[in-house]
Amino acid sequence: MTTVHTAPARSRSGARTAWFVVAIGALAAVAVASVGVGAHAIAPADVLRALFTPTGTSDDIVVRHIRAPRALLAVGVGAALGVAGVLVQVISRNALAEPGVLGVTTGAGFAITVGSAAGFTAPAAGELALAVVGAVLATAVVYAVGRGSPLRLVLTGVALSSVLSGVSLGMRLLLPDVFDEYRFWSVGSLAGREQAPLLVPLLVIGAALVGSVLLSRQLNAVALGETMARSLGSNVAGVRLGALVLITVLAGSATAIAGPILFVGLIVPHLARRVAGGSVPWLVAHAAVLGPILLLTSDVGSRVLLPTGEVPVAVVTAFLGGPVLIWAVRRYGAAPL
Amino acid sequence: MPVPRLARAVGALVLAAGLTAGCGSGSDEPSAPTGATRVFTADNGDITIPAAPKRVIATGYAVPALLEAGAPLVGISTWRRGLPMMTPQTRAAYDTLAKVAGESAAETNYEAIAQAEPDLIVIGVPKPVLADIELERLRAIAPVVALGPSLPSGWRELSRRQADAAGALATFDTVRDAYRNKTRGIAAKYAGVLPRLRCAHLGAYGEIANGNFQREFNGSWGTNVAQDLGADYYGQVKVKGGGSKEVSEYPSIEELPSAFGEAEVITYTIAADGSTPGGVRYVLDSPLWKGLSAVKAGRVYPLRYTEATTYGSAMATADAVDKALEPLLNS
Repeated sequence: MTTVHTAPARSRSGARTAWFVVAIGALAAVAVASVGVGAHAIAPADVLRALFTPTGTSDDIVVRHIRAPRALLAVGVGAALGVAGVLVQVISRNALAEPGVLGVTTGAGFAITVGSAAGFTAPAAGELALAVVGAVLATAVVYAVGRGSPLRLVLTGVALSSVLSGVSLGMRLLLPDVFDEYRFWSVGSLAGREQAPLLVPLLVIGAALVGSVLLSRQLNAVALGETMARSLGSNVAGVRLGALVLITVLAGSATAIAGPILFVGLIVPHLARRVAGGSVPWLVAHAAVLGPILLLTSDVGSRVLLPTGEVPVAVVTAFLGGPVLIWAVRRYGAAPL
Repeated sequence: MPVPRLARAVGALVLAAGLTAGCGSGSDEPSAPTGATRVFTADNGDITIPAAPKRVIATGYAVPALLEAGAPLVGISTWRRGLPMMTPQTRAAYDTLAKVAGESAAETNYEAIAQAEPDLIVIGVPKPVLADIELERLRAIAPVVALGPSLPSGWRELSRRQADAAGALATFDTVRDAYRNKTRGIAAKYAGVLPRLRCAHLGAYGEIANGNFQREFNGSWGTNVAQDLGADYYGQVKVKGGGSKEVSEYPSIEELPSAFGEAEVITYTIAADGSTPGGVRYVLDSPLWKGLSAVKAGRVYPLRYTEATTYGSAMATADAVDKALEPLLNS
């Protein structure tokens, strides 16, 4: 009996590993493209020279000070949103859940709106801090009210998001200056973030990704349902709280530095589930690679779609991700949670 | 019981009939001007308007134009962007007049306009924005003349047409001549320097977002008054997009060296209070900016009041440009 069950399990594990290696390779390729492609054409040889033997030319500055930080940002934000999407779908046991459903994105946007209305218009760092505070407070309220069950959690998140969205909208309509500030933030983009203090948020995202990997084994039990998890000796409430903290940190940090990019947290778990199956640790690992691939690809597209200027990456992500999700669901059917 | 019910029914019928009669007094029909009239060609067609209007409502770009021209205004929309450039006299008139609309066309208060009993309504919004205004409802109050901007530098002709419609050309021409005299004088001062320099302008309006910048060419908001002083903002947009996008574009920050690399002088827009807008600050802080030859040569000049839409406000712009470019005379 043991032999009969082990062989397919090994085979599945081998396939997951193989896909993971392929995904890592694809991520490296897209990252290279991200550094090499942009509105200003730079020859591949000059890109390499800029990376390894810079001489301070404008091409060097474009590659080292604009494109490289932007690629790094895309990797961090993509991984954060992808993994946050996996965690929220597992704890809510809802395949349509994404980090925004817990009020993270709306909370960040509400804080930006209130901050602007109060005259707090400090660029970059101030905006980043406001978004983080808003995301944390919104998730805390959602958890305090809806911690009883996954359904209550989602419903509370949706209800709070609606209320905060309505209040934000009212403020923006009444205060044109606030609307002006908000509209720049509200379209998720990786462009122009190179001057913002990114080190701390990226380190926080890195720590939260490690935390997600560590928690993922215990989430395996929660994914089977509350009763089964308890019978397996799992501390369901503790695991759920831990996952919620990680979702807040991951999605809150990503939203703070790039603005709302909603689709990544929804589609990446679905794509990851195609190769990872029901294993949460594998889901987390694959989402941490597929998220950056999706975001980097979208970001490269955002730079070359227009003859001048760029399209915000959130727009490209939606255009790219929507059809991919529909294709995946039609081709393979919705993967079980 | 049947009698009171019948009475209620009759009462309701009488009330409904009364309301119907009240509402059906031809309120949707265009209001015809009385007295001497003339036909005026506007964005919304050939309109019959009073030859000498006595009670004028102005909205949008028509507000500063008609305030400055001394038109007989009885109501205006708010026009916050123009406040820093108004003379004390114009500002006093602005503060006194009833506000019948907000900053956006959607904030038009039709009842307030009707209460002002105008004999002419001059709407100064771009053509696409006209869709946000219920023109039929306004036409029921008074003749409506829509005269909106297209190219930024077109404010000269636009404001004259608005003043013409409102019967206020005399004062308008006086202010225009004063502007022309002033700019001629300043242009003469820079005649030996400015016309031979290649200029570029970093703007602060429109679709500026993180990661891009606004480059303004000849005929744009930030450049058109400086042009009257002899400046030439070389180049043109890659793709003409209509309106202000005929003369300005929003390239990626990566294209900053190719956009401004050949410029010998760079001007950039700052707010009326002297502060630097966020989108402009982002560019000024970029290492690519610091590598531009004009920046290295110290030939970078901030310009205030680049939102002028009337000759009066453009005089403030001309003075600001003169003050900003003065170091060029010593270089």
